[in-house]
Amino acid sequence: MIPILDRPLVQFGLATAAVLILPLVMRSGTLASEILIFGLAVAACNLLLGYTGLLSFGQGIFFGIGSYVAGLGLVRAGLPAPVMLAVSLGVGALVAAVVGWVSIRRQGVYFVMLTLAFSQMFYFLAYTFSGITGGDNGFLDIPRPTLVGTRLTDPWTYYAYVAVLFLVLFAALQRVALSTFGRTLLAIRDNEARAGAIGYPVRAFKVAAFAISGAVTAFAGALHAMLIGVAPLSNIDYHTSETLLIMTIIGGSANLFASLLGAGAYLLAADALSAIWPRWLLALGLLLIVITLFLQRGLWGLIERAIALVTRAPPPDDPARPVGTNPPVAHAPEVAR
Amino acid sequence: MLRSARAADGPLVIGAPLPISGAFAANGKFASLGAAFAAREAAAALGRKIVVTDIDTEGKPAPAARKLQEAMAQGTRLFAGGILSSEALVMGKEATKSDGVFITTAGADEITGSDCNRGTFRWSVPTFGAIAQTVRPLIEQMPQAKRWYTITPQYVFGEGLLSAAKVVFQEKGIEHVGNSYHSLAEKEFSGYLTNAIAAKPDVLLLLNFGSQSSDALRQAVSFGLKKRMTIVLAWASGLEQFEALGADLCEGVYFGVQYWHGIDSPLNKELVSKLRESAKMTPNYSFAGSYQITKLLLDAVAKAGSAESPAVIKALEGLGYSGLTGHEEIRAADHQIIKDYYLLKGKAKSAMKDKDDFADVVTAGKSFLSPESAGCKMQQG
Amino acid sequence: MTYLFQILNGIGLGMLYFLLAVGLSIIFGLLQFVNFAHGAFYLLGAYLAYEGVERGLSFWVAMPLAAVIVAALAGVTERLLLRRVYKLPHTFHILVTVGLALVVQEFVIIVWGPLGGNVAAPDELSGVMILGDFIYPQYRLFVIGFTAILAAALWWLLDRTRLGAIVRAGSESPQNMALLGYDTLSINTAIFALGAGLAGLAGALAAPMRGVEPFMGVEALGIAFVVVVIGGMGSYAGALAAGILVGVAQSLMATLWPEGARLVIYLGMAGIIMAMPRGLLGRA
Repeated sequence: MIPILDRPLVQFGLATAAVLILPLVMRSGTLASEILIFGLAVAACNLLLGYTGLLSFGQGIFFGIGSYVAGLGLVRAGLPAPVMLAVSLGVGALVAAVVGWVSIRRQGVYFVMLTLAFSQMFYFLAYTFSGITGGDNGFLDIPRPTLVGTRLTDPWTYYAYVAVLFLVLFAALQRVALSTFGRTLLAIRDNEARAGAIGYPVRAFKVAAFAISGAVTAFAGALHAMLIGVAPLSNIDYHTSETLLIMTIIGGSANLFASLLGAGAYLLAADALSAIWPRWLLALGLLLIVITLFLQRGLWGLIERAIALVTRAPPPDDPARPVGTNPPVAHAPEVAR
Repeated sequence: MLRSARAADGPLVIGAPLPISGAFAANGKFASLGAAFAAREAAAALGRKIVVTDIDTEGKPAPAARKLQEAMAQGTRLFAGGILSSEALVMGKEATKSDGVFITTAGADEITGSDCNRGTFRWSVPTFGAIAQTVRPLIEQMPQAKRWYTITPQYVFGEGLLSAAKVVFQEKGIEHVGNSYHSLAEKEFSGYLTNAIAAKPDVLLLLNFGSQSSDALRQAVSFGLKKRMTIVLAWASGLEQFEALGADLCEGVYFGVQYWHGIDSPLNKELVSKLRESAKMTPNYSFAGSYQITKLLLDAVAKAGSAESPAVIKALEGLGYSGLTGHEEIRAADHQIIKDYYLLKGKAKSAMKDKDDFADVVTAGKSFLSPESAGCKMQQG
Repeated sequence: MTYLFQILNGIGLGMLYFLLAVGLSIIFGLLQFVNFAHGAFYLLGAYLAYEGVERGLSFWVAMPLAAVIVAALAGVTERLLLRRVYKLPHTFHILVTVGLALVVQEFVIIVWGPLGGNVAAPDELSGVMILGDFIYPQYRLFVIGFTAILAAALWWLLDRTRLGAIVRAGSESPQNMALLGYDTLSINTAIFALGAGLAGLAGALAAPMRGVEPFMGVEALGIAFVVVVIGGMGSYAGALAAGILVGVAQSLMATLWPEGARLVIYLGMAGIIMAMPRGLLGRA
């Protein structure tokens, strides 16, 4: 690792630079907004995976719930966007705390399977209660927010709105990660038994990590619904969870800027590839295999190596633990026939 | 290049938002070919270069909405596409918001019903007409078949078909001996078929669509139901589906379709012969639907003498024309195109004249709710 | 009466689910490897059977051939790719197999097209069996019987043979096996190929019932996970019991509350993990 790149100010500076550069290099304000929105959701996912070592297939639940909450509040209740963004934070935290509280009772693969089961349950709830969610048609007609009396229909104006909120939440997540709380999460990730033995309430910390992650993810979901004008059923399905995880791993390591990198790289590549090759998912599949074999610390790890090469500094600590460093599934004696 | 879409001298850009990748890629591929075919034909007539840009919706509403916004930010205003209901609904809204025009073949009644809007037009017949043109003629042809059983996907579209069917049942004195709902993720129908068998119906009416209707039909046939009852698939997807199922499964089964290459209309005959000659293929529903809506959009541009959206919308509203299904007309009040819906009957492999001759047209006709009954309140201006 | 038929039908489904899930379970039990590509092997098995029948092979040849080819491909994949991944955190097990599943799925679309197709049941089994008001396709009856025999053979293989003993010992302590001079790496490859081959066989058997389409693997993976979790990871008997349980539940729900079928299955899975973390028949 290259310590200077992990400094909070440097990280925040990189995020700010990205926010400022996107409008200069991209044609589409909508895609740029989506990158920031997913960047936020991926950073939240990273808090669980990278910092706490929890591989959850439940992030899509919170993303979808944020979308629906925004739709219900803005369309049915006619509430203003800032109120609904705050509400989505709250609801996201609440649901995530419950999902987390139940799921963390199991570990390893069983934890993953529980989050998978939750993800399916919420999907079928949204599907079954179509009176509230719009079911397969989606929750339609979600308006963009207004600012001083004008609706932010222009893509780049909405981008600016998203960008400010993104930086605020990015900074907030950084505070969380740097606090004693965040350092404890890392301790739990690296050695849960020891963290517990020292006297940390490990479960409470994990539930809190879930809640914060869920809150930010739901917030991103609400911003996404306002971006595209609809809360689609696909926002709450298993594939959203999977995509968020993939973006997190592509970005790499317990480093929040890496998450923006992961979201950006995925979305830009998907956008470019899908325009020229209908079978672009094949390339994604190959990429995942390559990352597993050669790039376990993601794009961020690649950048660190590149910098180390250029500055002739000693190469980055390769044994540094890759993303999601929960230990391999314990060699279980539970095999039975 | 895209920015010049609105300039009268540059090429005319038509966006074709279609599921090029993802689970509905088969439809997207043929629809993309159909749009390109229509554009080639129209370029000569219009005396202007036409560029059809495929926009990959991935079959999901979120990428569909985002990519439509992007295309509009780059100046494209005219769109023909959208195969799935969820993506079509949201794209119609996006197009209208930014003063664009969107013509689709998607199925959801809301498109020209409760969610109708100024910029959205829809070619396919809604659920009411699909049921009226499949269930009614069959009841007349088979007066002795009094007991009907339905299998319905539980979501808005399936409910639409089911409630339309129930109205017809009641009116005609048919006994609706049961219904099985299933979720959109279902692939295993043996449990529902067991329910159906227990109800001893004369007719099994399948109200699902796409691969689910194929799965349901395939499993129904393996349960030997074809010999015991008449099977009707009210919302089939045309030649694509026949090819996936094969002639043996389809023989004797009734299918309701929006389009069939055997339709006896001047435009259809022309399309079939041209396509067979140039590409050695027979137009299927995805191809033909996309061909028709792209052609319609381009004809409207020609008629309006302008590619500006308000002029194109005005040219489309109330337009009567000779379409693939014969005379078609665009109803101004809800932007629904009034066209025939077809009842087909699958024929035996030995009776097929060529490899695509899977079925004969039994009946055809137009049935539509009034715009008010369909729930459309069009906002003007 | 309908309930009785639904239970019978559910057992038929359950046997197929067992076949699908047992491979996943064995692979997890021995290799502690979470295989998200298991559905892809099922998909490949179905398409290979389809291709075989299209090329004029008898289904009786195409079906086992498909399973063998899938097993061989899986063995090669294990040697070249997955072997390097075992020691990594399970995040990467999931990542690499999700990637593999995508590659297989897109490969299937490139080769066979996105439309899907139909596999006719073999002529001698294309009829139905009629029991009063109940009708059941002969082919499905065959699947029940065939899977039952296969289940017994598998049990014999894993419980009564030397290979089975080695496998069981290896899963408890790979180091000791290596010390005893057994080539654990080859055993791993063999077991992975066996597990994947069983998934391929399930796909080939399912093809005449369900047809083939490129996204059938995703659904199969979901079912396999539910069955394995309910039955207990690594447990052979658990996979059998849970497979039948899930099949019967699914079939009964078709009569009782079809809209909620999936919801109930996943609720059941979550409930079981909470109450019995090792599943129904996994030993603690």
